[in-house]
Amino acid sequence: MNMRRTVLTLAVLLLAWNAPAQDEITIRIKEGMPMIPVALPAFQINDAAVQKGDIPATIYETLWKDLEFSRIFKMVPREHYAYIPAFNPGSIRFKDWASLQANILISGQLEITADDRLIFSFKVYEVASERFIFGRNFGGKKDLARLIAHKAADELLKHFGEKPLFTSKIVYISESGNDRDVYIMDYDGHRPTRITFSSALDMLPSWSADNEKILYTSYRNLSPELFMFNIYSGKTELISSGGSNYAADWSPVGDRIVYTSSKHGNAEIYLKDMKTGQEKRLTFNPAIDTSPCWSPSGREIAFTSQRGGTPQIYIMDSEGSNIRRITMEGTYHDSPAWSPDGMRLAFVSRIENRFDIYIYNLKSNEISKLTENAGRNENPSWSPDGRHLAFSSNRGGRYQIYLVDYDGRNVQSITAAGENKMPKWQKSTK
Amino acid sequence: MKKWMLLVVAVSLVLMFSACGKKAAQVAPVQEPVVEKVEEPVAQVEKPVLSEEELFQQKSLEELNRDQILKRINFDFDKYEIRDDMKAILQANANWLLKFASVEVLIEGHCDERGTIEYNIALGEKRAEAARNYLASLGLNAAKVKIISYGKSKPLIPGVDEASYFQNRRAEFVITKK
Repeated sequence: MNMRRTVLTLAVLLLAWNAPAQDEITIRIKEGMPMIPVALPAFQINDAAVQKGDIPATIYETLWKDLEFSRIFKMVPREHYAYIPAFNPGSIRFKDWASLQANILISGQLEITADDRLIFSFKVYEVASERFIFGRNFGGKKDLARLIAHKAADELLKHFGEKPLFTSKIVYISESGNDRDVYIMDYDGHRPTRITFSSALDMLPSWSADNEKILYTSYRNLSPELFMFNIYSGKTELISSGGSNYAADWSPVGDRIVYTSSKHGNAEIYLKDMKTGQEKRLTFNPAIDTSPCWSPSGREIAFTSQRGGTPQIYIMDSEGSNIRRITMEGTYHDSPAWSPDGMRLAFVSRIENRFDIYIYNLKSNEISKLTENAGRNENPSWSPDGRHLAFSSNRGGRYQIYLVDYDGRNVQSITAAGENKMPKWQKSTK
Repeated sequence: MKKWMLLVVAVSLVLMFSACGKKAAQVAPVQEPVVEKVEEPVAQVEKPVLSEEELFQQKSLEELNRDQILKRINFDFDKYEIRDDMKAILQANANWLLKFASVEVLIEGHCDERGTIEYNIALGEKRAEAARNYLASLGLNAAKVKIISYGKSKPLIPGVDEASYFQNRRAEFVITKK
């Protein structure tokens, strides 16, 4: 494709990259593997009342979109189902589904109980061997239809040895009027929930490793302080104040955080043990040091520093030692985000007043451009499985949150109302 | 306010004269409000010119800030060094702050939109700090000057040209206590 050629050309022309220290991480590379074709015939619906509501369609469409989004599965087009006899879960004609090139067949069944609860059962078959692989039942209140579909899709991922993705959430900042508050939504942009209610500016939220707490910066006391909000207890705790305190990231284990603070005059990176409350300063440079981000191993921290004259990406060991520069060319890089497999760093580069997201492969030293000169693209954040990223962009006018696959495909906006930015995807989900 | 009043008077006078000159015998109701309006500007004109001290005493914090008693300064792209052409403004701000020693001030550092959110917070802070250091070099007690950075979250104007960006790359001096 034209875009991909441009990506390579730009990478070669504008940026040259050094070779960082080799590490011992070995990861099975699944990118580029053929996707598994899945057929999803219409659900069997027992209760006539269900047929009238939009619940069956909600579950069906959510499940379909999840699997289509995965890059693991590929949906056999619905139009093709009409060429074979209608699906009958009692006697499945596997040969027919094989003729549609389906490898996996999902049979779904939906009913609503007398007390208005939803029961969704699905069975997964392998078409070639004509055998039942596994099945699950889900129950819940009627308004949890989307969640039930996401859970079902996650079960399929897990069965194929993948990390669950579709029940993961994104925390972000939403602005309507003068309010800028922290919100949480499903990975697909549905079910947004507001979680802070101050009239002051809130920004740069991030998840704890256990997904129960959110760190964010708020100007509510007329200076940018770092707060921690506990989603389940509803309690808010002040974590760091004095100067500006922002850009926090939790360690993968969840015991420590790193963040930027100018509490001692200059923007430096601090590490805080969340159990003991002990703090350690990691950077000691009169230049700006900011945007710290843990490696998935917890042994290293990527960050932005202006010590070389312009903001560039660096990596240091998590005690602050062994600092090495990663970006060598270009004059403006920030917002590093480490991929879950530890092999790639996504970050924002400014070239001639355009902000685009690039991905640097730490192992091959290759760089690829993820977004293509469409508005300002900022704050990349990886999905738990590392196949997708969320970012914010003003390509459509106001800032909205977008998702994109690791190879630049399937760009889609997932927010539309007001202005939405600074997405942070959960690092993992159960 | 004053200008508005003068305008009304001017327009009224023109109307009055034209009415008198051309159609003196016509339409009495037009003339009546005109005569009434004339009284207001007389009071305005007689208002004494207030000295700097009197203005300071009279105005609230909000009014002092709204009237920009302390002028804002602008910065170069990506930079936080004080520009030579901004030094006179800082000198004037310092003079005023030295004169009114009870005043406490908050310097807000701001950036244009051509930076990332994270980096701009640090950059805005560097700008505010540079302004504070310059005021301190002119004899001001730095302890009375607080700084804050808003990064790019509070642009002054929405434009996307260099002139707008220049306006947005700024340090503002907000009086927080008289």
